[in-house]
Amino acid sequence: MTCEKCKKSPATFHLTAIEGGQKREAHLCEDCARKSGVMNVKFNFSISDLLETLEPPPTKAQAAKTPQVRCPECGITYSEFKAKARLGCANDYQVFKGELLRLLEKVHGATNHVGKTPSTADVHVQKEHELMRLKRELEGVVKTEDFEKAAQIRDRIRTLETELSRP
Amino acid sequence: MKVEDLLGQPGEWLKGTGPENDVVISSRVRLARNLNRFPFLTVATPASRADVEKFVRSHLDGAKLPKELVYWPMSAFSSVERTVLVERHLISKEHATAEGERGVAVAPDESVSIMVNEEDHLRLQVIRSGLQLEEAYDEIDRMDTALEGALHFAFDSRFGYLTACPTNAGTGLRISVMLHLPAVALAKQVDKVLQSLQRLNYNVRGFYGEGTSPLGDFYQVSNQVTLGKSERDLIADLRKVIPEILRFERAWRHKLLEDEPKRLEDKVWRAYGVLKNARRMSSEEATDLLSSLRLGVNLNILTGIPIKTLNELFIFTQPAHLQKLERRILEPDERDLVRAELIRRKLEGL
Repeated sequence: MTCEKCKKSPATFHLTAIEGGQKREAHLCEDCARKSGVMNVKFNFSISDLLETLEPPPTKAQAAKTPQVRCPECGITYSEFKAKARLGCANDYQVFKGELLRLLEKVHGATNHVGKTPSTADVHVQKEHELMRLKRELEGVVKTEDFEKAAQIRDRIRTLETELSRP
Repeated sequence: MKVEDLLGQPGEWLKGTGPENDVVISSRVRLARNLNRFPFLTVATPASRADVEKFVRSHLDGAKLPKELVYWPMSAFSSVERTVLVERHLISKEHATAEGERGVAVAPDESVSIMVNEEDHLRLQVIRSGLQLEEAYDEIDRMDTALEGALHFAFDSRFGYLTACPTNAGTGLRISVMLHLPAVALAKQVDKVLQSLQRLNYNVRGFYGEGTSPLGDFYQVSNQVTLGKSERDLIADLRKVIPEILRFERAWRHKLLEDEPKRLEDKVWRAYGVLKNARRMSSEEATDLLSSLRLGVNLNILTGIPIKTLNELFIFTQPAHLQKLERRILEPDERDLVRAELIRRKLEGL
């Protein structure tokens, strides 16, 4: 998926905001996300709370106002991560990048990996992410009995799986 | 290979032959890895879990691993057998009790294991006897490289290896050294060691890892930081810290031997006497006495007992091992009888 603003770079920020009961989605690259200010969205939690857990609970009204970013691949929100202290998928590191960077700074005193890099990184990565997202989408359309869409998604999944199984 | 085969022969790392083995029991390295194409286990459906297990299993055979591993699904084990694997340090407590498809691949000499579907899709582990961190890392690095071609691990240039818990991100590497610190404990200096290690961002845990209390004066020291340093640097850092602790423990051994030889001799010989003659023995008492005996052997207060025998007894007198040995479920009272008998038998003629 490419960024919907610049239509060039791959979209790594997938945001879902609920505003006045209306759902709004945005898919942006890192640069456009930074320019549009969505990376500075204030959430009703801070990362230090993960370790300190002394956060004043929001009222229902406050909670409803807070945008809940949901990972399009695994479907978890940052609050859900906080509750379990475990992430849902690799893509969460992009979706919750800002929060995680602050958390990592606190835990490791650093935010950049300098160790080993797998020799097979990159080529497969995009395809594998698409595959994971499609599998989740498929569950959704099966539930709504949109069989035509389901068939399309299944075809794409099959193609990706064949491509990925090649050495 | 069956669990019985594992039970019969102790793991390579228990032999007590490695460097610095008077204080260092073992060196362990662990890598956390996830597959890019599957969601993490936190959100995985039972079907997706099963897919991961099948996928990993099919690739373990093909991967040219430095050591041949035998794979078992956890469903192949009874609950006692699972606990045996925990007591052997081959799997975690969580892995023994969790629900859903999961498994473990083990090298026959127990120096290598891979947990499949624990907190992360894969948890690779290498254990060596004594202080052998570089050697252990070299081996796990070769395993990791052999696996990455086929498995495609979740990786990001900024965050490194992506793990379910961000506290493992980056290298995904946890390095642990199991230390025996009986003199430091006897001199009531353990807090000093713990505090200085914690200041340097190292965790100190008991014999069975997270959430366990110190048992028989064994302490497991491991790194907390996994991101922002290379694997080699993480190892080099711990390599600088460990000699300080070894020096401290040895200095206290020397001091106790010089200043209060009779107190030390009495403690060791009493432990020997009780272990050789007792008819009932709790797990706590056994580990305490074995710890004193191990100290006595290291200080030559008492000779003729191989360290290997003592190292093994720490593991073989654990509850699940006793039950596996007797081939039936034992109540705690019965275990105390069996434990005392096993220790007497192993020390016979020594």
